[in-house]
Amino acid sequence: MSRWIRFLLAIVIGAAGGLFYGWVVNPVKYVDTTPDTLRIDYKSDYVLMVAESYSADNDLALAARRLALLGDTPPVDTVRESVLFAERQGYVDSDVALMRQLLSDLQTWTTPLGTQAP
Amino acid sequence: MREERGPWYLLTGLVIGAVLGVLYAWGLQPVQYTNTTPASLRADFKDQYRALIASAYMADGDLVRARARLELLKDQDVYQVLAVQAQQSLAAGKAPQEARALGMLAVALGQSPPTLPAPASGSPSALPGGETIAPLAPGTQAITLTHTSTATLVITPSGATSTPASQTTQSGPTLAPTITLLPTRTPSPTPGAPFALKSEELFCKDDLGTPLVIVQAYDAAGQGVPGVEAVVEWDGGESHFFTGLKPELGTGYADFAMTPGVVYTLRLAAGGQIIPNLTPTECEAQDGGRYWGSWVLVFTQP
Repeated sequence: MSRWIRFLLAIVIGAAGGLFYGWVVNPVKYVDTTPDTLRIDYKSDYVLMVAESYSADNDLALAARRLALLGDTPPVDTVRESVLFAERQGYVDSDVALMRQLLSDLQTWTTPLGTQAP
Repeated sequence: MREERGPWYLLTGLVIGAVLGVLYAWGLQPVQYTNTTPASLRADFKDQYRALIASAYMADGDLVRARARLELLKDQDVYQVLAVQAQQSLAAGKAPQEARALGMLAVALGQSPPTLPAPASGSPSALPGGETIAPLAPGTQAITLTHTSTATLVITPSGATSTPASQTTQSGPTLAPTITLLPTRTPSPTPGAPFALKSEELFCKDDLGTPLVIVQAYDAAGQGVPGVEAVVEWDGGESHFFTGLKPELGTGYADFAMTPGVVYTLRLAAGGQIIPNLTPTECEAQDGGRYWGSWVLVFTQP
């Protein structure tokens, strides 16, 4: 086996060792993440919590602020995505209804400044 | 001549390979945080998540669902975290409703063992000890909840497909085969008539250290009532506190530390009698020494 082949083989082994270390021995640990990185089912449950709270306090501004934690996406789009997920996954009707109500109210919401909410 | 150069080139190759691997991992294909779990959230986001859980609990009263949601945050001592956050929320001047919700949830969790969930198929359900609370995507572990007539909660893993290791989705939870349920007490305040002051006494106990205003709220049956909001006011200040945040002292117990020389007025937020002129008062020990006593105010519902 020529020296070049052995050299390249050493590179491959080194890279494989690095990947093994990074993926198995000392894998990435997720800490200090932000809510916008949550998995879709957790996001949807977050939206459901917002909808549950909104059903009790009817504070749409508070609901929008809570939804804003989920990232730069407009709250309407966030809730719409969660409603679709909930329907696809078979959430109970009462939960979907709460989310739909929140979505509906957000779509027609006008902020105190008179502008249509995002 | 060539043999004298040794195998150093192999080591060089290994180093170059490792460097290339790191460059790939950090530069070309850096880590992207997606599909994370609530447990990985930054502390302040966890606080907001926790407050939202409490708010949703106040709206729907579903303790099992609230418990399952809290478990996603993987707090060491859920009750303690909730109680501390409730007090911090009050101290930070946030909306009293938030502190009240956190306090009520803490009290409910402190009182009640796991209860039967509403076994609604496919809904985001409470899964004690579970990782995923929403209906699962294909490729993740599914869990079904059933309960028997003997009031036991049986958690049965189903869906044998394992989660791909390359995803950040966590693998299925460790499942206890059976959780035996105990009777559940009602965690919410007794609705009905407003509280009335039954007694106001100076309590002398020299190991308390700080002079306190102690509020004890009882319902008509003599049971401590958690979640009762008390408002204490003084010249230039106001503070709110709730019963039930120290369940080791009773579910209807709450206290507030007074500052010597300051005169306080106390009332319950729900209305009722105003108790004026509460100020730290000295007690006399048997040896003639003096120490601060505490005022104990007992409220009852007729």
